[in-house]
Amino acid sequence: MKKIVLIALISLFSTISFAEIKVVTTTTVIYDLVKEIGKEKVKVDYICRGDQDPHFLEILPSNMLKLRNAELVFKIGLGLEMWLQQIIDGSRNDKLKLIDLSKDIEKKEVPTGKIDASQGDVHPYGNPHYWLDPENAKIMAKNICEALSDESPDNAEYFKKNLDDYTAKLNSKIVEWKTKMSNLKGKPIITFHKSWVYFVEKFGIKVVGQVEPKPGIPPTPSHNAELVNEIKKTGVKIILMENYYSDNAPNQLARTTGTKVVKVANAVYGQEGINSYIQMMDSIVNSLSNNL
Amino acid sequence: MKNILLFLLVLFLITNIHSQSNVNPDISLIGTFNTFTNNVKGTPEYGKLNFETPAMEMFIDGYLNPYSRATANIAYEEGEFGVEELYAQILRGLPLDMQIKAGKYLVGFGKLNTIHPHAWHFIERPLFHQIFFGEEGFNDIGVNFSFILPTKSFYTNLDLGVFKGDAIAKTEVLDPEDADSYYDLRGNSPIFVGRLSSFFDLDDYTNLEVGLSGSYGVHAKMDFNTLGDSTAELENKSLNYLYGGLDFKLKYKPDSYTALTLQGEGLLNSRDVFRQGDVGVNIPIEKSEKINSFGGFIFIDYLFGKQFSIGAKYDFTYGIIGDEPSFSSLSNDDKNKTQGISGWFGYYPIEETLAFRLGVQNISFKYDDGTSRDSETTVTLQMLFSLGPHKAHPF
Repeated sequence: MKKIVLIALISLFSTISFAEIKVVTTTTVIYDLVKEIGKEKVKVDYICRGDQDPHFLEILPSNMLKLRNAELVFKIGLGLEMWLQQIIDGSRNDKLKLIDLSKDIEKKEVPTGKIDASQGDVHPYGNPHYWLDPENAKIMAKNICEALSDESPDNAEYFKKNLDDYTAKLNSKIVEWKTKMSNLKGKPIITFHKSWVYFVEKFGIKVVGQVEPKPGIPPTPSHNAELVNEIKKTGVKIILMENYYSDNAPNQLARTTGTKVVKVANAVYGQEGINSYIQMMDSIVNSLSNNL
Repeated sequence: MKNILLFLLVLFLITNIHSQSNVNPDISLIGTFNTFTNNVKGTPEYGKLNFETPAMEMFIDGYLNPYSRATANIAYEEGEFGVEELYAQILRGLPLDMQIKAGKYLVGFGKLNTIHPHAWHFIERPLFHQIFFGEEGFNDIGVNFSFILPTKSFYTNLDLGVFKGDAIAKTEVLDPEDADSYYDLRGNSPIFVGRLSSFFDLDDYTNLEVGLSGSYGVHAKMDFNTLGDSTAELENKSLNYLYGGLDFKLKYKPDSYTALTLQGEGLLNSRDVFRQGDVGVNIPIEKSEKINSFGGFIFIDYLFGKQFSIGAKYDFTYGIIGDEPSFSSLSNDDKNKTQGISGWFGYYPIEETLAFRLGVQNISFKYDDGTSRDSETTVTLQMLFSLGPHKAHPF
């Protein structure tokens, strides 16, 4: 009898110690950061695949199922995941805690006046593509660490150590990325969508235009013609775009002006071989610096 | 006058809502404008470009508290305002993770009925909807209880509801001049509706949903002269119906620019109907008879370049589209049939804010008694706009 009680106590204790925090993230970038901080003490899944545009997602019941048993859901925020609340409602999980990772980020392009649809898909709380600045990835990692520690205070030290290790790794990569990008400093580029504001500011690149006439609005021939003039005037060499957008209009521009279209994944698992945030940033930096 | 008052009330509500705090509900407006022509000789529309009165749907939607939401859909169609939907939902916090939806809304029988027509791939309502639910679909007043079943590897949902039954009886108005007369035919008999649906991720880009639906209840109550004797006392009888439904949707979406959708639904109808037999004592004997019939559709739609879509649909149903409601027509008709073939081309210039659709539908009729009737072809050009916040589309 004693043995049985002892075994029961041990198994109860082991359940408590090694219980995984069930986490769902909206994007694969957050997914990777949660894995880095939580390691084996979290069970994590994501909603938006790396090759999907996170602005527009269909509401799939399978994603409701993912959230159904989760304890935490992390999001980018700033209006990027307009679809999330419908999935949360569908999950019927009333214990789910929603963590908005944008809270300590220094937001860019926050509209000051009245916004409406004539300006395109303007995000009312600021540009949400902040994860493309690795300094912001450190802030995201810190906030993830805090949320995991709140959820499992017994493991707070473990999460803190993982955060410190990851931050150190990021710091050394930031130096490497800065060096590689130094030859692009001050150089003009064109981007497809207005999603690179945090990235270009970090590395000192100048964006002189977007292939989209306004955020979220498909390219038009007249806007392309304006861009041709701008490219000629400013000496743009690169059109930078996410790989989930159609490259028809950028390729047409490239043919006319001799620029290069650089298609990159801006999410983890966005293309083969990109399995972490660091690999994603490596790929973006290498694609740009090799194509100048 | 009633319309003007309703419109003023809506305006007042919107203005008032805007003047309040940041807990305003979302307000969005869908506008629909159709022009069409057809080849139906003898009708005023024949061979002409006809302009329909623009239709409008205004959605007001928001959280009531952390656990529940409410939605109102005020529609303006054919020159009249009406409450298309008005319901509240308890989303979380209930035992067994149940959700409750109560009010007036599109009933979850099949997949397509709960989707608003502006979000369909095609223009015309499926023929079997028109026959078995009426021209506005299965829209009814009632309460629905929804459960997620514990099928771990895939999502399964069970809906069980009780409704007033107006939509079912709408197709049986004995006096077309008096649209409310169907109330008298049913009395106070609720109907029951259920749907079991499962959703599967076949791979990263392909999803499948299959559903089984059922609805049961009294569709009418009648006084029968079972003896065929004009002096005999009449016998009051209930006429029951049972609908069984099967639906599926398969979608392949390799990227945000391309999607291929294959979707279909079918309905089996088994019901008691009023029939007259041979003359009894001095008049025909009145009796109820069990009939069986069915209807369904299947369509394919291909979205390409994010902005364009092309598709085709095949429809079949028992009953003749456009017949006056009676106890031998529409859902009570197990003799005559209607078949439809349609095709469409859609252009969506910027996301879902604006849409243009060109649709062609050919309807042919088959009468059991050999009556000959020409097929009817209608060409419709539709413009849709969406103003205000629009939610992400459910699968």
